[in-house]
Amino acid sequence: MARETGLDVQIDETALIRAAQQGDHDAFERLVRAYDQSVLRLAMNLLRSPEDARDVYQEAFLRVHRNLHSFRFDCSFHTWLYRIVTNLCLDQIRKRKVRKEEATVVATGEGPLDRLDAVAEQRADTDPERRLFSGQLRRRIKEVLNNLTPRERMVFELRHYQGLRLKQIGEILGTSEEAAKNCLFRATQKMRAALGDFV
Amino acid sequence: MSVMTCADARSQFWLLEYGELSFDEEERVETHLDACADCRAAFEREKEVYAAFNTAAAEPPPSLLRQCRAELASRLESEEHSPAPDARRVFSGWWEQFTHALTGGFILRPAGALAMLVLGFAGARFMPNFLNSPAAGVTEAGMNRVRDVKAAANGQIQILVDETRQRTLAGGLDDSRIRGLLLEAAKDPSDAGLRQQSLSLLNAHAQSADIRDALIYALQHDQNAGVRLNAMTGLKAFAAEPEVRGALSQTLLSDPNPGIRMQAIDLLTQDSATNMDRQMVGTLQELMLREDNEYLRQRSQKILEAINASTEIY
Repeated sequence: MARETGLDVQIDETALIRAAQQGDHDAFERLVRAYDQSVLRLAMNLLRSPEDARDVYQEAFLRVHRNLHSFRFDCSFHTWLYRIVTNLCLDQIRKRKVRKEEATVVATGEGPLDRLDAVAEQRADTDPERRLFSGQLRRRIKEVLNNLTPRERMVFELRHYQGLRLKQIGEILGTSEEAAKNCLFRATQKMRAALGDFV
Repeated sequence: MSVMTCADARSQFWLLEYGELSFDEEERVETHLDACADCRAAFEREKEVYAAFNTAAAEPPPSLLRQCRAELASRLESEEHSPAPDARRVFSGWWEQFTHALTGGFILRPAGALAMLVLGFAGARFMPNFLNSPAAGVTEAGMNRVRDVKAAANGQIQILVDETRQRTLAGGLDDSRIRGLLLEAAKDPSDAGLRQQSLSLLNAHAQSADIRDALIYALQHDQNAGVRLNAMTGLKAFAAEPEVRGALSQTLLSDPNPGIRMQAIDLLTQDSATNMDRQMVGTLQELMLREDNEYLRQRSQKILEAINASTEIY
């Protein structure tokens, strides 16, 4: 079977977007399915709250649905979608900074959940000392992430956890690659400084 | 190519780690690393720091993704069954401008007690415009319908016309005319927008039994999901009342829209400690049997498990 090339995927996506713009529900659903895991992961990483991530997911795709007709292929769909998601997340982070709401434990469908402990649970070590160390390390990282500026936090998340290139991060955030690079530098410096005695 | 110092090399470690160096830059750092044991060790430590960052990576649980997808599907469905956003905006704008023009914008404010009502009878068929002209002998403005035509003995033609005249009534919900017309408009099968607007005005007064009945009727019978959702908003504060609980239970079990069923289960279980009676348990058990929506099944299952009730009907 012939391998699907990047171009094939691009053409496929363009066709999907055009069909969705014409009101094809299946095409829209396929578009959602193509990106929704990474959207949810990004929101979860940025907001560290399943409820907030869920809200961002809903709002982002509803906005895409309402505004898809105005998408003119000036940028990739991925960039357009991530622009929406990152704006929603930035708003949420800024609101939190104002409200000073940074509760660690949140209620979820599965019961109370520590945002960071829960996400690292699958990797939990069986060695008690190691587990204790991992827990302390995660808490420290969480503190540092919370102390980054919203922009630093965003760039760090997009680069480190989403694996996006600085050029694309610049496009998503409406800034230059150089500015994104400077932002990432500040974020990693702060992270490294805070974790100095751990690693 | 100039020789790279240790300081230069170390300042590039983070970009090397992220793969953001150009081919040439990367080559220079790696050449330095090959030749410098101290920097190699430093780079290994740097990599450990970046690996440590990874311990905080969040992976959403699969159940959250499923829940998000189910909610999105129902919200999209609700949006599609509601009037188009543009139409809603136009309607809303028109209504606001109209009421503002009539009331100067301030009469509506005190306690939200005053409702304005303008009812047009859209079902009536319009006569051709010339019938409204004075020459035709029908001078009153309004919507008209020809009921009968016949030739009179004097050679003239007699036309029997039904006239439906528009009037503007103003008053509060304590005015029985306003209240009655609003309750009637909330059931107008020809205009979902009118029903929606009427229910919005009635919602704030759901403490009255007749208004609550109208909201329950809309919840159970309205064809439009947006109207049903609106009715549920008005009933929210009365979710503990037996007749409202009954209607919500029926909605939970039979409404075709999963978004509305989700709202129904939220209202039914918002005071779960006090309202988990046997009937409610039965409803949730029945839901487990017939519900296709995974999120709703999970919600139901968790509630039943929380009160140590069986998730099945024996």
